[in-house]
Formats: sequence, C-alpha cells, structure tokens
Amino acid sequence: MTQHVVVAPLLIALSTAIICLLARRSLRVQRAVSVVGVFAYAGAVGLLVLRVLPDATLTYNVGGWPAPFAIVAVADALSVFMLCLAAVLAVPSLLFSLRYVGDFGEQLTYHPLFHFMLAGVTGAFLTSDIFNLFVWFEVLLMASYVLVVFYGNAEQTRVTLRYLVLNLVGSAVMLLAIGGIYATTGTLNMADLAVRIANPAEYGVSLAPVLGLSMLLFTVFAVKAGIAPFQWWVPATYRAAPAPVTAMLAGVVKKVGVYALIRLYFTVFAAAEFDALAGLPWGDGSALAYFGPVVLAMAALSIGFGGLGAIGQDTIEGLLAYSSIGQVGFIVLPLAVGALVTPELVPGVRHLAIVASLVYALNHTLSKGLLFLVAGTIRDATGTTRFSELGGVAREQPVVAGAFLVGGLGLVGVPPLSGFFGKLLVFQSAVNANAWLPLALALGGAILTVAYVSRAWNRGFWGDPSPAVETAAPTDRVQVGLVVALALAVILVGVGFQPVFEFAGHAADAALDRGQYVDAVLPDGGAASGGGHA
Amino acid sequence: MTAAQSAAWTAATAIAQSAAAGPELVLAVTLGVLFALGTFLVLRRDVVRVVWGITIISQSANVYLVTMGDITGGVPILEKAGHHAAPHGPITDPLPQALVLTAIVIGFASTAFALVLTYRVYEEHGTIDADELADAGEVVR
Repeated sequence: MTQHVVVAPLLIALSTAIICLLARRSLRVQRAVSVVGVFAYAGAVGLLVLRVLPDATLTYNVGGWPAPFAIVAVADALSVFMLCLAAVLAVPSLLFSLRYVGDFGEQLTYHPLFHFMLAGVTGAFLTSDIFNLFVWFEVLLMASYVLVVFYGNAEQTRVTLRYLVLNLVGSAVMLLAIGGIYATTGTLNMADLAVRIANPAEYGVSLAPVLGLSMLLFTVFAVKAGIAPFQWWVPATYRAAPAPVTAMLAGVVKKVGVYALIRLYFTVFAAAEFDALAGLPWGDGSALAYFGPVVLAMAALSIGFGGLGAIGQDTIEGLLAYSSIGQVGFIVLPLAVGALVTPELVPGVRHLAIVASLVYALNHTLSKGLLFLVAGTIRDATGTTRFSELGGVAREQPVVAGAFLVGGLGLVGVPPLSGFFGKLLVFQSAVNANAWLPLALALGGAILTVAYVSRAWNRGFWGDPSPAVETAAPTDRVQVGLVVALALAVILVGVGFQPVFEFAGHAADAALDRGQYVDAVLPDGGAASGGGHA
Repeated sequence: MTAAQSAAWTAATAIAQSAAAGPELVLAVTLGVLFALGTFLVLRRDVVRVVWGITIISQSANVYLVTMGDITGGVPILEKAGHHAAPHGPITDPLPQALVLTAIVIGFASTAFALVLTYRVYEEHGTIDADELADAGEVVR
C-alpha cells in the first residue's frame, strides 16, 4: 500500500483529466474538478517528496510483476525534484487560465488537455523504462498539440503543423533508437540496461551500437528541450499557445528533455566503458565523453542564438520564447562540464554540475512561468504585447511591472533572487573544473540576458504611458495575485536557498548513485532478466 | 512523379532480387526504401504529402521494431503442451510485438490529428502549399 504513493500524482492527473471530460457539459463542475485536481496533484507530489527525501528510492511495479518484466515507476530524489517543478508551476498556471482562457475555450477541452499534459510529464519523470518514456512523451505531446492550436486561428494552425511534423519525426527516431537498444542489449528497463552495459561480456552485449543509439535518443531529447540546433520550433510555438500553456511548455515540458538527459546519460549510459572513447584526452571513456563536447557546442549555440534572437524581438512573448532557448543553454552547460571533466580530476565535479543544472532549471521554471503569465496579464488588459505599442506600464500598473522586473532580474541572476544561485552554481562548476570556455560562454550569455531584459524593461514598462496602456482595461485581480505569488516564490527560493540547495544535492546524489537505482529497481540483482536473444 | 515511379520500380526489383537471400535482407531493403520514400514525401511542399510522409516513416519505424525481435522464430507465444502438442521450434520474442502494438495505436491517433489539422490549415489559409504558408508570415494573434 505504501508504494502506491509513487503513482499517486500520475493517477490524480489522469483521473482529473477523465472526470473533466465526463463533466464537459457543466463548466462550473469542470472548473471545480480541475482546480481540486491540480491542488491534489501538488499535495501528492508533496507527500512523495516527504517519503523520498533524503535518500529513499521508492518503486512501484505495475501489475506486481518482478522488475525487468514489469513497467516500474521509480521515485527517487531526482524524479521528485522534477515533479516539484511541475507541481509548483501547474497550480498558478491552471488558476491563471481560469481567468484567461475564457468560458468557451474552457468548456471545449482546456481542462482535460491540461491535466493530460500534466499526466504525460509526470509519467515521463517517474518511469524507469525507455519504451514507457516514449509513451508518456506521446501523451504529453498529443495534449500539447491541441493546446498550441487552441485558438485555432491561421497562425496557430500553421505553427502547430510545423510542431506536429517535427515531433512525429522525432517519435519515429525515438522508436528507432529504442528498438535498436532492445535488440542490442535485450532490455528496456533503465536499471537493467545499466547493469548489462556495465558488464557487456557477461550479457553478450555489443557496446558500439549502444553509443550510436544513445546519441540518436539524445537528438530526440534535445528537440523536446529546444536546444540549438533543434530550437527553431520554439519561438513560433510559444507565441501561438495561450499564455498559461506557454508557461507550462517553457517551465515544465522543456524540463522533461533535460530530465531525460540527466537520467539516461548520467545514471544509465555512463555505466558503460566504450573502447572507442577510452583514448580521448577528456571524459572517462563512458558515453559522457561523447556527450560532453556535443552538448557543449549545442549549449554555446543555444546561449548565443537565444540571447541574440531575444534582443531583436518586437513582442514580449517573442522575447521570452527566444530567451527560453538561451536559458536552456545555461541549464545544459554545466552538464557538458560534468561530462567532460572526470571526478578523478576534480572530485565532486559531476555532483556540482547536476546541482547547478537542476537549480538553474528551477529558476527558469519559476521566472519564465512568471514572465509568460505577466505577458498574458498585459495582453488581457491592453490587448497587445508589442513593444512599439506598450510603454509606461510601470506607471499605470506598478504591481504587474514589478512582477516583470522580479522575473527579469531572476533570469539575469541578481541576488537575492533564485536566479543568482543558479548562475553562481553554473559559474562555480565551470571554475572548479578549470573549464574556461564554458565560463566565457556563461559570461557572454549573462551579458546578453542583461541586454534583452533591460531592453524589454525600457521599451515596454518604463517611460510615458502609451495610448494602449492609458486606455487599458483594469487588470484582473486574480491574475495579478498569481503573478505576485510567483514573484514572491522567485524571491523566496533565493532568500531561503539552503533547503532548495540540499534538495538539489539529494537529487544529484540520486542521479549519480547508479548502484542505489539498480538495487531499488532490481532487488534480485537483475541477472534473472529475460530477453532471449541478448 | 515519374522520377518517384521509376525509383519505386527500381526499389521493387531490388526487393525481388534480395528475396532470394533471406528474410532479413528483404526486410532491410524494404525498410530502407520505406524510410527513403517517407523522407522524400516529408520534404514536399504539399502538406498532405508531408502528412503521408510522416505516416510512412512512423509505420516503417514500426516494421523496424518488429524486426528487432527474432524474426526467424515461429509463433511469439508457446502453446500449452498437451492441448495441441504441436511441435514448435524456437519462439519469437513477444515483447517487440507488444511494443509495436502500442506504437501503432499512437501512430494512428497522431495521423488522424495530423489529417484533421491539415484540413483546418486549408480552411484557415486557403492553401496547403508549404511555401505559401511560410509566406503568410508571423502574424501574432
């Protein structure tokens, strides 16, 4: 019975979605169920966190089968850290959409889709089976397609078509990689996979194809996370979707790709010793030696492209969307450092790198979620988010403008906001590892962030009120309240950083402690697993 | 489409020739042809062809997934001894078949959505030409 808490968030999100579908005739019932559902989700995640911290790993074997045969849901500190990101942003986003999407849209399908997306994200964070990961990706993608096309105008249909085609090709690639991994290793369970590729001779696994297939999987996760050069779907998609959905896409769905990178590369594929990589001057001969330079290059591209692109944007949403590309570069940059520098050279470098990445991901979820909701509030009140039509919001709507400032400074990394520690840890992991190139990249990216945030502030919020701002409708009190709450969260995480840092530390421990993960998933050591042709 | 037709004809003869060399080779060549055709279609300007392309690519990924089990075996499940007592050789791994079943269901749903979306794009823009759609520019709502 105690193990059921592992799948509780997943079941709550799924059943809320289904009940919302059944209650579609009554908007009031649907709204009530949806709000109760999202709070219950947050509660279940909270309960799970209490059970898992500091270092428990809970598993749930679907159907009660033993591990390599059953699909196993695993909640360790890394999974619950990511679930917290989802829960913390899902609650304000859903409440915001009650005042933003409009009765007709909500009556249609908004609430079921929102919860299906949440269920997909939750499943992806909890599963320990790569094919199951594919299935949860599809669940969240299917919901996100419809949410992106939600307004159904010319622009939305065009953008969704592009998003859809890209992701369907991505799904096919993911299937190819998964099928190949099954054929070469004879297993789909991540823990079993880690055991087998760590002892290739014992299980008759040929390692070379696994390296290629792992990189094939990497491209799919990079698409999901929107890392350059797979970033081109991001700006248009984020502009097209309703503001609370965009907040979720940027704040939570993007992190699914980041989570999959950490889990698969640092926990699973790092178990193998590849002969072909042993001669490289960097890395430790595991798949990380291959992963590191690739991610470093992609992070550099993302930071540069996102930062420069954001400066040239003429709407708030456009700027925030490009900024998301740059910020995801900051999230994966420490991962590249951790992959390139071995713990033998610099003790604890991987741990610090993953902590930096997670803390930065948390900062991005809070700040970017906040900023997209501010953009939604401004659009609702003034009818526009074009910088040319805005101006002087700070004078007319000081609270909303203040929240934007907090979010923007959170991205920049001004103390005592959450972004400060994110940036600090990214810099620290680069400095500790003596990695000057990543450090220079992070510095350049930080300067670009200052440039686009101050530009947005100067053009949109400072100065004399424009006609659109002067004649704006009064802002919705609930929307402003939620935005202020998120702004307070950005400040609170920064001020009371110690527990967050410890939580991220436990998550990094869990990501790197392969033995504990394997023991939890495969209590009998995993040698008994099937897969006849391994 | 004459180029595509002649390519298809060449591919068909290649498959026929490889049939003599065993089922793996036939499947490998077929998969190669299917992926090539799918990629060719995805790169077309006509959005309907693009949707056909991703359908073909995802279906060929499914076929590939089936081949990842052991295709030389017989049935994927053992019959109970005593019922029919049919002598069976090596069994085929049932797991890829379960995976493919899941992937097919997901693929159908995605294809249905893609087709509906294509129709909607046609209604909104009056065209299904990708180039003309791109010219529509970035109109923020």
